[in-house]
Amino acid sequence: MGGLTVGDIACGRSGDKGTTLDLTVVAADAGAYATLEAHLGAELVAGLLGAPRAVRHEVPGLLALKFVLEGALDAGPWASRRAGMHWQKAAISPVLALTLAEIGAAPA
Amino acid sequence: MSAPVATVGGGAGFAGDRLDPAVALASSGLVQYVTLECLAERTMVHALRQRRRGVAGHDPRLRLRLAPLLGPAAEHGCRIVANLGAADPERAAEEVAALAGELGHGRLRVAAVVGDDLGDRMGDVAWSDAPAEGEWLGAHAYTGSEGIARALREGADIVIAGRVADSALAAGTLRDALADDGDALAGGLVVGHLLECTGQVTGGNYTGPGGRRLTPEQLADLGYPVAHVSGDGSAEIALLPGAQGCVNRETVTLQLLYEVHDPSAYITPDGIIDMTRISVEEVGPDRVRVSGARHRGVPPQLKVSGFVALPGAMVDVEIGFACVDALARAREAAEVLRLRFAALGAADPTLDLVGVDSLLGPASAPLRCDPPEVRVHASVACADEDMARAVEDEFYWLSMAGPAAGGGIRAERRDHVAVVDGRIDRTEVREEIVWVG
Repeated sequence: MGGLTVGDIACGRSGDKGTTLDLTVVAADAGAYATLEAHLGAELVAGLLGAPRAVRHEVPGLLALKFVLEGALDAGPWASRRAGMHWQKAAISPVLALTLAEIGAAPA
Repeated sequence: MSAPVATVGGGAGFAGDRLDPAVALASSGLVQYVTLECLAERTMVHALRQRRRGVAGHDPRLRLRLAPLLGPAAEHGCRIVANLGAADPERAAEEVAALAGELGHGRLRVAAVVGDDLGDRMGDVAWSDAPAEGEWLGAHAYTGSEGIARALREGADIVIAGRVADSALAAGTLRDALADDGDALAGGLVVGHLLECTGQVTGGNYTGPGGRRLTPEQLADLGYPVAHVSGDGSAEIALLPGAQGCVNRETVTLQLLYEVHDPSAYITPDGIIDMTRISVEEVGPDRVRVSGARHRGVPPQLKVSGFVALPGAMVDVEIGFACVDALARAREAAEVLRLRFAALGAADPTLDLVGVDSLLGPASAPLRCDPPEVRVHASVACADEDMARAVEDEFYWLSMAGPAAGGGIRAERRDHVAVVDGRIDRTEVREEIVWVG
C-alpha cells in the first residue's frame, strides 16, 4: 500500500493571484483528511514547487487544505520564462503525485 | 431548501470561454440571469491599447459572444450581466444596443456600469512597487455588485460592466432578492465565486481521488452551472437537465476554495467572506447545496490594478531534437545557447525542455526512445529590438552550427507589461449607470 499517492485519497486544483501560487487539496473522506492534515505540511509543498515559503490553511469542515505560496511565480504570465507560461494550473500535479510514504504517512 | 428566490447561470468564465453553454442556459427558460465573466489582466491590457488607438476598448468578442445570446435572452426574459465592457463599458453598451437593434431585439434595455476607470486619477491610488520606467496604460478599481444591482433594478435587460470583481456579477443579480443581511450577501458572493469559472464547478479541470474524471466526449460538450439561490444566500449548484458534466462535493469544494488564499477571509469589494463554516452537501444527482457563508465586514479600500507597458519584449524561442539521444542533444544545444547568450550579453536566459511528438508526428510512433523528442525552449527578456532579433538568430544558427538534426525552430515575442497593485479608499470610487440605445 506504500504506493498510494495523495491523489488516491484526495483531489486538488491550483491557481494564482499575481505572483502567488494558490493550491487546494480536498480529501476523499475524514480519514484521508486526518492523514493529510498530519503529514502534508507547508514546507513540504513549498519545497516541492521551488517556492521560497508557503502558508497552510486548514478547513476541516470542508475536508480541505489550502497552500498559499507567495513569490512562487514570476511576475505573471507576461514575465514568465517557462515554455508553459501559465503553469499555475499544473502546479497541483506533483502534490497529488506524492506517495503517502514520501509524506511520512503510515500506509493505509 | 426553501424555494429559490433567483436562478443564475454562469455562462462564461474568461474572455476566450466557449459560446454555446451560455446560449444553452439562456435558451433553457430555467435561468433568470446569465453572467459572463470575460475579463482578465491580459484582456484589460489589450482593451486599454485599443482605446489609446481610438478604437473602442471593449472585449473583442463582444459581438461574437452576444449575437447568439440576445435572441434566447429576449425570448425567455433572461437578463445578461457581463464585464465585456473592459476598458470602455459605455461604448461596449452602445455596441450591444446596436447589435440588438440589428437582430430585431431593439426593445432590450442596455445599461453600462462605469466608474472603475481611474486612468485620470492615478495619483489618488496608493501603489506598491510601481516600475521606474515604462508607459502607464491605465488603472482600474475592482468594484462591487451595487452598480449592477441598481441597473437591474432600474430595468436593464443587459448590463455591461468593466472591472467589477468576478463574484460581483452574480451577486449583483441577487442583491435585491436576498435577505437584507451581511451573511445573505456573503452567500450571494459565494454563488458568484462558484459560477465565475463556469466549467470548473461542473467537472472541468477535475480529477477525483483515484483518477475519476469526465471523458473527452463529456468535456467537449460540458454544461455550465446553474445556481438556485435562496433568500438566506444558500444555493444549490446544478446542471441543466440532460447537460453533460458532474457536480459533486469535490467539484464544488475545489471551486469554492479556488484562488481564495485565506478561506477565513476572502476579500471581495462587497465584503470579506468567511468560508470556514460553509457546508457543501450532495442533495441529489449533480446537485450540491452550499450554505453557511459569513460576512465579516466591508473592506475600507478597493484593489486597483495598474498596467504599465515596459520597454523591450520577452522572446520565446524553441528548437527540437527527436529519437535516439534527443535529450542529450537538447542539453548540448542548451549549453551552446548558454555560451552564446553570455557572449551576447542577453539577460538571464531560462532554458527548459519540452516534448513528445511535435517534430515527427506519426513517425514518432511507436515511441522507440524515452523521451521521444525534446524541444529546447528559452525565454529571454530583451531590452530592445536589436537584442530580441539577436536572441532569435541564435536559435536559427543552431540548425547549422548546433548538435545534429535540430529542427522545428519557432520564435515568438510577448509584450512586456507590468501589472501594478494599488489600493484606493472605497469612498473615492463612484459607480454610475449609463443608459444607451
